[in-house]
Amino acid sequence: VRYRVRHVTSYRYAETVDLACHLLHLSPRALPGQRVLAAHITAAPEPSRVVTREDYFGNAVGWLFLDQPHARFAVTLEAELDVAPPPPPAAAATPAWEAVVAAAMRTAAAEFVFGSPMAAAEAAAGHYAAESFPPGQPVLAGLLDLTARIRRDFVFRPGATSIATPVVRVLSQRAGVCQDFAHLMIAALRALGLPARYVSGYIRTRPPPGGAARRGADASHAWVGCWLGEEHGWVGLDPTNDLVAQDEHVVLGWGRDFSDVSPLRGIILGGGTHGVSVAVDLEPV
Amino acid sequence: LAAAAVARDEMVDGAGGLRPHWRSVLGAYAALTDGLAARARRLDRAVAEEGVAALLPSAGDPVSPWRCDPLPLPLPAAEFVALAAGLDQRARLLEAVLADLFGPQRLLAEGLVPPAMVFANPSFLRPCADLGGGVRLHFYAADLIRAPDGAWTVTSDRTDGAAGLGLARENRRLLARVLPEPFRPVQVRPLRPFFELWQESLHRLASPGRGNPSVALLSEGATHPYWFEHMLLARELGAALVEPGDLTVRGGAVFLKTLRGLQPVDVLIRRLAGRLLDPLELDSGPLAGVPGLLDAARAGSVRIVNDPVTGLLEAPGFAALLPALAGRLLGEPLQLPNATPGEPASVAPWLVGEGLEPRPVVLRLYLVHDGEGWRTMPGGLARVLTADAPEPGGALPGGGIAKDVWVLAEERADVIGLAPASAPPLELRRTAGELPSRVADNLFWLGRMVERIDRAARLVRAAVARVMRGGGTLPRELAELDCLLRCLVEARVLLPEVAQATASQSALAAALAGSVRERGAIGRAFAEIARLIESVRDRLTGDMYATFTATLRTAREETAAAGRNLDALGHALAAVQRFSALVAGLAAENMVRGGGWLFLDLGRRIERAQAVTAEAAATLDQPPARIEIGLRLLLELCDSVITYRARYLTVIQPAPVLDLVLADPGNPRGLAFQLASMHTLLDELSGDVGGAERLAATAAGLLAEAEALVGGVLAASDQTVAASALPPHLQAIAAELAALSDRVTRRYFALLPAAQALWGEAPAA
Repeated sequence: VRYRVRHVTSYRYAETVDLACHLLHLSPRALPGQRVLAAHITAAPEPSRVVTREDYFGNAVGWLFLDQPHARFAVTLEAELDVAPPPPPAAAATPAWEAVVAAAMRTAAAEFVFGSPMAAAEAAAGHYAAESFPPGQPVLAGLLDLTARIRRDFVFRPGATSIATPVVRVLSQRAGVCQDFAHLMIAALRALGLPARYVSGYIRTRPPPGGAARRGADASHAWVGCWLGEEHGWVGLDPTNDLVAQDEHVVLGWGRDFSDVSPLRGIILGGGTHGVSVAVDLEPV
Repeated sequence: LAAAAVARDEMVDGAGGLRPHWRSVLGAYAALTDGLAARARRLDRAVAEEGVAALLPSAGDPVSPWRCDPLPLPLPAAEFVALAAGLDQRARLLEAVLADLFGPQRLLAEGLVPPAMVFANPSFLRPCADLGGGVRLHFYAADLIRAPDGAWTVTSDRTDGAAGLGLARENRRLLARVLPEPFRPVQVRPLRPFFELWQESLHRLASPGRGNPSVALLSEGATHPYWFEHMLLARELGAALVEPGDLTVRGGAVFLKTLRGLQPVDVLIRRLAGRLLDPLELDSGPLAGVPGLLDAARAGSVRIVNDPVTGLLEAPGFAALLPALAGRLLGEPLQLPNATPGEPASVAPWLVGEGLEPRPVVLRLYLVHDGEGWRTMPGGLARVLTADAPEPGGALPGGGIAKDVWVLAEERADVIGLAPASAPPLELRRTAGELPSRVADNLFWLGRMVERIDRAARLVRAAVARVMRGGGTLPRELAELDCLLRCLVEARVLLPEVAQATASQSALAAALAGSVRERGAIGRAFAEIARLIESVRDRLTGDMYATFTATLRTAREETAAAGRNLDALGHALAAVQRFSALVAGLAAENMVRGGGWLFLDLGRRIERAQAVTAEAAATLDQPPARIEIGLRLLLELCDSVITYRARYLTVIQPAPVLDLVLADPGNPRGLAFQLASMHTLLDELSGDVGGAERLAATAAGLLAEAEALVGGVLAASDQTVAASALPPHLQAIAAELAALSDRVTRRYFALLPAAQALWGEAPAA
């Protein structure tokens, strides 16, 4: 499927900002199942310095520095991509989850087994997930079951949480947004010893004809990268929509949790109180 | 098996003999005629005065401050060479481990390093994986103990900060001063060449083409337990001592905010945790660090040493892997083994009272990479293990017993330092322009606070004397006390509701005694002055610092001891005034004009001008018939009674009093003197860094105004009426002085607004 994506973030400041620097994880990542045909990031006002490079995880990162006083700031991503990820393997054909736990430590996937600032290996979350992973359960079968359970057990409620809401809170209040569900699932899998990573990106705004409306479609989206062992590698699972990430998802990048790949973070001097507005459109061409 | 091991003795060989390298050392000490205990006391005093015992209680530091034992730990030349070779290998190995873990991660794939030690470690700073610039480890320290079999073993590798280096240097300096005799017969290798070598290698780290590179030492600031050491090191290495707030990143380069504007920084010696460096990319909180610093490092415009990632290797457990890693990465066996847990450290003599007692010691040695290889400092920091500080490794405790380490030279040739490097001729400088804005700001406020505490002490003292006299019954006494209390309220020493002349004596006494308590005006000023002295400490000579702090401590102790005893309080307040006078005198005699002194003196002058003006306004606020009471008090508060008497005998008249207090430029307690000084200082500042021309003109204008006021009183048909009409005019001058102070602050200290973090939006909000 060919998509056009447009993601606009605008800040309005109550007072002038004297100096600002912004860190962007806002370029779609080129992947075997995702071809980036064009991607442009524009900013207003014009930054005095722009740097782009790859981060530790291989994601494209941008730095924007502004050293002239300004009261507004906007960043826009416009991109066009072809998305055609390979289908996931048959769940029954994947190894037992215990074997995946054992194999992870010998590979690069080990990086994603350990707790991170926003997704510690939380025992309570692991307890919640354990039900989906009886002994010998093929790993993907367990993962699909967990994905479905989160969709069923938790209420999608914008405003129920903030960026800083810890996983245990989400677990007890049974409500949140996609970022919370992704962190919850990651924390649960890590507690079981399974590698899990945070994937940042978008989901298509309107469902395909006849499909159900997707949640989290008018903003950035987040889901979970799960490791199925060396043979099958990584698969994306979206607990917010109970979906396997395929041709409705566009990947920006991944990290251990949101703090590694937040689309936009910045430090400003001055500015007073500020407001932010975000608009995302992901439409098939 | 290990339980049977008996600690080795550094000094004696177990068969009753003295080890050969101790002979000359002990011989030299035995030749001291005045006894070692006396020297030890002098050494203690020197250490305390030079401020290893700081004014500020350092955060969470339960142990006593550092002391230096008069007996060194000697190391034979050959032993030092072997240690240096072993540490050289260890440093190369640690560098190779960092290069792998922040690069191809082969050690993880091969199972030589457990993933948890890396991936679960908060010091594994992923954003700093590729800052570039060659070696990550630039300086390194190791803690060593000598095992019972005589072999040196490593208890910990210090790859992040290598603390204690400044302390080692200071110990040597003080020991050589207090105990110069043993240094003559014993050939001890000097430490200074090591610091020269380090300084040169820091300069070489700057990007090529930077003729006279600037090096800064980045510290958390005066609240850090090792602030003192940061200051010593910065001095030793010729580096500017800076805090994150002093730096700013523009266009991918790092600059120091100075009075003259932004000055580039080429090399940063990092003395704070790597994760606190850059709030944009690391989890340090928006107020920590320097936003954009990592980008500047990647751009190559600044080198950060040690690299922010080096703290990773201080994680417990790494040392145990080193024997295997040495084989894998260097193809060599590890020369210096890790210490066996539980094995006792060797003991060395420690002076207790008059005698020597054997105590376990741990040795910290320091290395620096000079661009080509590792060089070990011929000396170090030995630490006596005590119940307070029993750990033979790990982070340096906040205090304890230190020993100088003497690396003995075999031949005279060893003692000779490096050939002096050819440096380009330096430009002559006499200006204040290079002063960091923060330092100027702190000096300005130190000047103000020292004057403020003096004024408060003087006012309280005057009130205490009157309360003790039991005054306040006659209308005249009541009027005078009332006037004085108004001054105290105006100076924010007393609250208006307690400062009533009609209040009971005991209530007044209690209020006055309260001013010196921790939350009182004088108590708060003490704390603020202590903080400011500490933060500008690198701008003061050692003697100045020692005198400031000792006098301040005395004044603080005396006021605390006074309690509600008014007589004792009066004496204690005199000590406060002596402190203030001493700061002024020492600064005047010891600080180079220009530079920091300008701001210290400017702060003092502005504060005093405001005080005189406010006191004149308060004392003249009387009906004409009572103006004489106010005039007498004003002379007393401005310490001008004797001068007045010498000029006019006992006749009190408004114009002569006001001339002396407001218009006579020769009276250093009067307003005119302050305004004339401010004019000169601001004029000098304009010449130095520019921008103060209009400020200087304001000071000159105020001086003319004060003269005109006094002229008006002199020409008036009734001077008392004219004088009692002055307060509104004086209040206007006070307001203009406050505005002038604000303008100085804005012009020179350029306070940037606070930083805040933006997080964009939460996904799928």
